Amino acid sequence: MPSALRVENVTAQFGAFKAVDSVSLSVSDGELRVLLGANGAGKTTLMDLISGRIPCAEGDVQVYGRTITNWQEHRIASAGVGRKFQIPSVFRNLSVRKNIEVARCHSQSVFKNLRFRLPAADRRRVDDVLELTGLQDSAEQLAAHLSHGETQWLELGMLVAQDPKVVLLDEPTAGMTQGETSKTAEIIKRLRGDHSIVVIEHDMGFVREIAEVITVMHLGKVIAEGPVEQIEKDPEVRAAYLGSTGIL
Amino acid sequence: MVEVLFIGLSLSSILLLIALGLAITYGAMGVINMAHGDMVMIGAYVTVMSKIWLGLDFYFAIPLAFIVTALIGLLIERIVIRRLYGRLLDTLLATWGISILLQQAVRLELGLSFFGLHIEGLGPGLQKVDVPEFLRGTISFGDTELNGYRMFIILVTIALTFVTWFLLYRTAFGVQVRAIIRNPEMAAASGIDVKRVNSLTFAFGSGLAGVAGVMMSGFKTVFPDMGATLVVDGFMVVVAGGVGSIYGTILSSGLLGEINALVALASNDIIARAVVFAVVILVIILKPKGLFSFKER
Amino acid sequence: MGLERKIQLGAYALFIVALFLVPEFSDEFWLNRASKYLVYGMLGVSIALTWGYAGVLSLGQGLFFGIGAYMLAMSLKLASPTSLAQGSDRPIPDFMLWNAEPDAPVELCCITPGSYLWLPFESVSFGMLMGVLLPAVVAGILGTIVFKKRISGVFISIITLALVLLVRLVVIDLQPLTNGFNGLTDLAFLTIAGFEFDPYSRSTYYLCAASLALVLIAARLLADTRASLILQAIRDDQQRARHLGFNVPMYQTFFFVVSAAIAGYAGMLFVVASEFASPTFMDLSFSVAMVVWAAVGGRSSLLGACIGAIAINWIEAEVSETAALVEAWKAIIGLIFVLVVLFLPRGLGGVAHDLAARLARRQSRKAAAAGTAGAEVKRHA
Repeated sequence: MPSALRVENVTAQFGAFKAVDSVSLSVSDGELRVLLGANGAGKTTLMDLISGRIPCAEGDVQVYGRTITNWQEHRIASAGVGRKFQIPSVFRNLSVRKNIEVARCHSQSVFKNLRFRLPAADRRRVDDVLELTGLQDSAEQLAAHLSHGETQWLELGMLVAQDPKVVLLDEPTAGMTQGETSKTAEIIKRLRGDHSIVVIEHDMGFVREIAEVITVMHLGKVIAEGPVEQIEKDPEVRAAYLGSTGIL
Repeated sequence: MVEVLFIGLSLSSILLLIALGLAITYGAMGVINMAHGDMVMIGAYVTVMSKIWLGLDFYFAIPLAFIVTALIGLLIERIVIRRLYGRLLDTLLATWGISILLQQAVRLELGLSFFGLHIEGLGPGLQKVDVPEFLRGTISFGDTELNGYRMFIILVTIALTFVTWFLLYRTAFGVQVRAIIRNPEMAAASGIDVKRVNSLTFAFGSGLAGVAGVMMSGFKTVFPDMGATLVVDGFMVVVAGGVGSIYGTILSSGLLGEINALVALASNDIIARAVVFAVVILVIILKPKGLFSFKER
Repeated sequence: MGLERKIQLGAYALFIVALFLVPEFSDEFWLNRASKYLVYGMLGVSIALTWGYAGVLSLGQGLFFGIGAYMLAMSLKLASPTSLAQGSDRPIPDFMLWNAEPDAPVELCCITPGSYLWLPFESVSFGMLMGVLLPAVVAGILGTIVFKKRISGVFISIITLALVLLVRLVVIDLQPLTNGFNGLTDLAFLTIAGFEFDPYSRSTYYLCAASLALVLIAARLLADTRASLILQAIRDDQQRARHLGFNVPMYQTFFFVVSAAIAGYAGMLFVVASEFASPTFMDLSFSVAMVVWAAVGGRSSLLGACIGAIAINWIEAEVSETAALVEAWKAIIGLIFVLVVLFLPRGLGGVAHDLAARLARRQSRKAAAAGTAGAEVKRHA
């Protein structure tokens, strides 16, 4: 079976500057991979390359053996790559339920969506997602009125409803309290197994709780890859964090 | 040929005078001011009125028009625009309403016509302004004869563009305005009184339109609706040049003015305007950031 | 079905019933004016569809209205008796003779350069078809380009504005083909299957009323589809929608095309009711006026925008009976508009919507209270 996500030698170029420099990465089916690195290491840019938000100057991206390099974003998304943004982005003027319903509409074409309601199975799925994210009580509220944490969960919920094969999560716990963080970990654990996940995260407690394999990036390159314990001892990783004890 | 380019240059100057104010209010404040053309109209009426009521010469109308329109601009900003920052399309709509109000104020003689009172110089009819003797003739350079009034317009435009440039790039006020263009929140956080600067910017932009009105009054008839087409032309210039770029506005007004003059020579005025619209559409589609946008992200 | 939804459907039903009751209370002269208001109402719907649901403010809706109007007017011009009385055995518009070279052949094919373009319009069905099709095609091409390029809100407004003014100038300049400033006048009545629509008759009013009802219902149904939900999502956050896998430009273009087709249809009806087509349909002020109607009525409320358009034009006509008030009315409209944008950004439709929602909430709270009370009683019993 091919890797769920395979990234080979991709490069993001802004003028002479390479924000991501010939990075390769392979995530197997059902794996949860954490991307680690200081600000400006190129983690978010790597997600931008995978999800088609910015073009790859070089290299190749594959999902389950299918090449999706430089496709348009919506085609990459329908090929099974879902993404959560660092700054939570939801449809602010739609109700929470409708946000999830939108994510549950599978066909990308306008004509296939000229129907009134989602099929019953999908509607049940929307209810499940509301429950999973604990948003059932605010289902009819506008998404704009949610708290920061709830907005993050809504976006995660939309990912669950979209049901992509590969999930890219950009700092899902940013700005969250302890309690909110552990609830987020619950939701992410629910995703794992059925989905292959790549997470950018800084909160080490959170990383230790969820991570299997960690990839460390520094200045646009991958400098280390391995299980948590191994990464924590890696001298190059420590050096990259300027001799301090680093974030680890 | 030189004459045609010269006429093009004078058209460009008028366009620039109108567009300069828009470029500042749109670029700096994110306000699409549809009443800008009516500021031009009011500037033209100031010229008419100052002659009739104050016996003032054409030249004196220039500072007077600037002051009057700047004050009206200030008032509009305080009452309406201030509540709409960040709602770009709504500023377009609200200022459209203001534009109608301003036109009707002139047409109905500030409402006095209901009571049978009339103010000479206002009202629905056409008004005309006499240009001073000195500007009426032509100036010869070798065998080319250049119209004196068009020359005057070009010179005034150059002077005002310079003043604007100086204000924006060589004064403390200009630094604040440019800071707001780049990042309003950050500007506010660094202690700039954004509200005050915005009011003054809007007033200055309106004042420029007033001066453009004085210039217009010298070679076009003056009437209450004259602003409607002008504001559209102004926006075409700003958008084609690149929003937020004063240089872009200058260059694109030059380009569109010359295209207008050249096409008008080859066919007629109607087609010339149509071609200008076509150019603007192509620019937006092919280079949405504008032809001459030097602003990096 | 929730109470809110019931109120909404009730409002639609009430409006449509009222549309058909109007002729019982008015004379033919007034009905002719009312038909035009209904056409404006249709324009309100077309604006609300793109503006409210897609977040795309077209300042050039007059283009589609104008195209629709000219397409049908060309056919009706050729069908008019004067066109048959120009000394040729086939119809030819009178103004073409006035504008033609002295030695040009008196034939529609070649009297002026380009006049052959009029030939297919000898068939009124062709004119009617083009009245909807051409606006849709133009909107389709424009939308595909603009939305694929991800051109943002204001720029779309400016492009549509520039385009309508551009076409207006071309129509004016092509005097020999279009009769320029004067537009197309002296048109035949529209005749469908032997039935004649005299503008000063009930039949024309019913045609407009039925068309408006049809457009309203179709637009309402469209607004309830998943596609419309996705469109609203796109309006809120395009980036998010793309990463959910939706072909964003396709959605935007589709709704833009529907809106243009409605405007084109409205243009045709206007020609039937007013018996002329003119470049003023593509004036800046007319395109902006439509936006004003929709904004006052409620930019994201189809029925609200429709009623807004009808009401404003109706009041305007009433006020204009008094000469002194004609100009004052314009000032009042300007003022109302400023106030609406400042204080009621969602328009009157938005207010109605909020009222209905509040009513529904109160109802459900009452029901819930009754429910718990019932439970209490049971427990005590």
